[in-house]
Amino acid sequence: MTADFGIKIEGVSHAYGGGQSGLASGTLALKQTDLLIGHHEFHALLGPSGCGKSTLLYLIGGFIPVQTGSISTQKGPVTAPGPDRSIVFQNFALFPWKTVLENVMYGLQKKGLPEAECREIAQAHIKLVQLGGFEQAYPSQLSGGMQQRAAIARTLAVDPDILLMDEPFGALDAQTRRVMQEELRMIWKKRPKTVVFVTHDVHEAVFLADRISIMSARPGRIEHQIDTGLGPERDESTLTDRRFVELGEQIWRLVREQAVLASRGGL
Amino acid sequence: MSTLSALLKREGLMQALVLAGLALVWEASSRAGWVHPFLLPPLSDVLVRLFTDMQSGAVFVDLGLTLYRALTGFVIAAVLAVPLGILMARKRGVQWFFDPLISIGFPMPKIAFVPIFILWFDIYDTSKVIMITFSCFFPIVTATYSGTSHIDKWPLWSARSLGASENQLLREIILPLAAPSILTGLQIALPVGMITTIVTEMLMGGSGVGGAMIAAGRFADSVGVFAGIMEIAILGMVVIRALDRLRARLLVWHPENRAH
Ligand SMILES: Nc1ncnc2c1ncn2[C@@H]1O[C@H](COP(=O)(O)OP(=O)(O)O)[C@@H](O)[C@H]1O
Ligand SMILES: [Mg+2]
Repeated sequence: MTADFGIKIEGVSHAYGGGQSGLASGTLALKQTDLLIGHHEFHALLGPSGCGKSTLLYLIGGFIPVQTGSISTQKGPVTAPGPDRSIVFQNFALFPWKTVLENVMYGLQKKGLPEAECREIAQAHIKLVQLGGFEQAYPSQLSGGMQQRAAIARTLAVDPDILLMDEPFGALDAQTRRVMQEELRMIWKKRPKTVVFVTHDVHEAVFLADRISIMSARPGRIEHQIDTGLGPERDESTLTDRRFVELGEQIWRLVREQAVLASRGGL
Repeated sequence: MSTLSALLKREGLMQALVLAGLALVWEASSRAGWVHPFLLPPLSDVLVRLFTDMQSGAVFVDLGLTLYRALTGFVIAAVLAVPLGILMARKRGVQWFFDPLISIGFPMPKIAFVPIFILWFDIYDTSKVIMITFSCFFPIVTATYSGTSHIDKWPLWSARSLGASENQLLREIILPLAAPSILTGLQIALPVGMITTIVTEMLMGGSGVGGAMIAAGRFADSVGVFAGIMEIAILGMVVIRALDRLRARLLVWHPENRAH
C-alpha cells in the first residue's frame, strides 16, 4: 500500500444549524480548511477555544457529514464512523452501565476476538492507564481524571489505524498528564498510527507531535503548520532541549495571536 | 453511615407503629360500637376470614387469577410499547404516525372502552387482558419514547467508532441508556394495570379478587368485601415492591443506587 498520506482534508467548510449548503445562516465553524496529515504522523492541533477543532475531529471520525469539500484516508473518502478511526472524546463518553473492564472490552468484542483475549487485552490497557484495581467500577464511581483514562484505554485497546484525541488529558492532574504523555508517545512508537491530537496546551503539543497545526479564530482554518523536528525519542530531556523551549515560545505567540483575534471577534 | 441505618430502622419501626395504631383504631371503633359492624366489620373478623379462606385455598385461586390477568396484560403492553417507543424516538416516520394517536389515547379514560371490548370479545379473560394491556400501554410507550429521545449522542458515537453497527446500537447502547426511563414507565403502568384488573373483574364478573368482592357485596357479606380489600392491598404492595427490586438490580450502575 502506498503510504503517502494518513488523512487528506480538502476545502472543508462546516456550518452548524444553518442550511445544507454549509454557508447559510448558522454558525460557520470551519471555512475552507485544507490539511494533509502524513501516514503514521503524530499531528497536534492547536487553536483558540471555539475555532472548530472538535468539529474537524468529528468530521474525520465521520460522526457528522461532510458538507463542503472532502476528507479521505487510506481507506477512501470518509462517510461514516468506523473502527479504523477511533476517538477519545473531550467528555469521555463512557458507557455508564458497563464497568471499566466491560467498557474497554466493548471494541475488542466488536472485532470478534475470543472473550479470553478481549479480557486480556483490556486488562493490559487498564494497567497501562494506571486504573488497575478499578476494573469492576462503574464510570459514575470514578473521578473525572479516572474516567478520562478509562476512555483512553478503551480507544487504545482497539488499536485503530487513525487515533483521534480531543483534549484527552484535559481532566488529568499535571503529574498523571506527564506520565500519560510519555505513555502515549511510547505506544505510538510501538504501534505506529496516524494521530490527530487536539489540545490547548502548547507544551503538550510540542512534546508529543511531529507536526503542529495552528488554527485561526472561528471560522477555523489551518493558519500555520510547523514541524517540531524533535526526533522520535521524547522523554525528560526533551523538556530542556533548546529547540523544545524555542518552539514552545514561537508557537505560543502564534496561538495567542489567534486567541486575541477570537476575543476581538466579539463572542 | 451507622447512624443513618439506625435512623432508617427507627423510621421503619415508626411506620409499623403507625399502621398498628390505625389497625387498633379500626378494631376498637367497631368493637365499641362507634360504627355499625356491618359498615365496618372488626379487623379481627376480616383477618379470621382471610385465614379461613387461605386454609380452604379460595384466596389463592382469586389472587392467582387476578395476578395472572394483571401480569399478562402488563407484559403484553411492555412487549408492544417498549419497541414502539424506541422506534418512535429513532424513526421520524413512526413518530409522525403514532404521536397524535398516543396524544389522544393517553388521557382517555380507558374504562370507557369496557362495553366495546365486551361487545367485540367476551366477558372472560380475553377482554379483561386486552383492557389491562390497553391501559398499561400508554404510560410505557410515552416514558420509553421520551427517555430514548433524550439520549446523549456521545455514547452512540463512541460505540460506532468502536465498531458497532447501526443495528447493534439499538440493543447494546440505546436500550440500556433508556432503561431508567423505561423502568419508570413500567412502574407507573403496573399500578394502573392492577387497578384496571380489579375494576374489569368487578364489571365483568368471573373469579378473581374483584369478582369475589362483588359477589360478597351481593350477599351483603361485608367481611368478605373488606377481606377483598386487604387482598388487593397486599397483592399490590408485593407486586410493586418486586418491580422496585428489579429496577435496583437492573440499574446497579446508576448513581440513583448509590446512597452515598
Ligand atoms: N452542535 C452545535 N450546534 C451549533 N453550534 C455548534 C455546535 N457544535 C459546535 N458549535 C459551534 O461551532 C464552533 C466550533 O466548535 P468546536 O468545534 O467545538 O470548537 P473547539 O473544539 O475548537 O473549541 C463554536 O463556535 C461552537 O459554538
Ligand atoms: Mg472542543
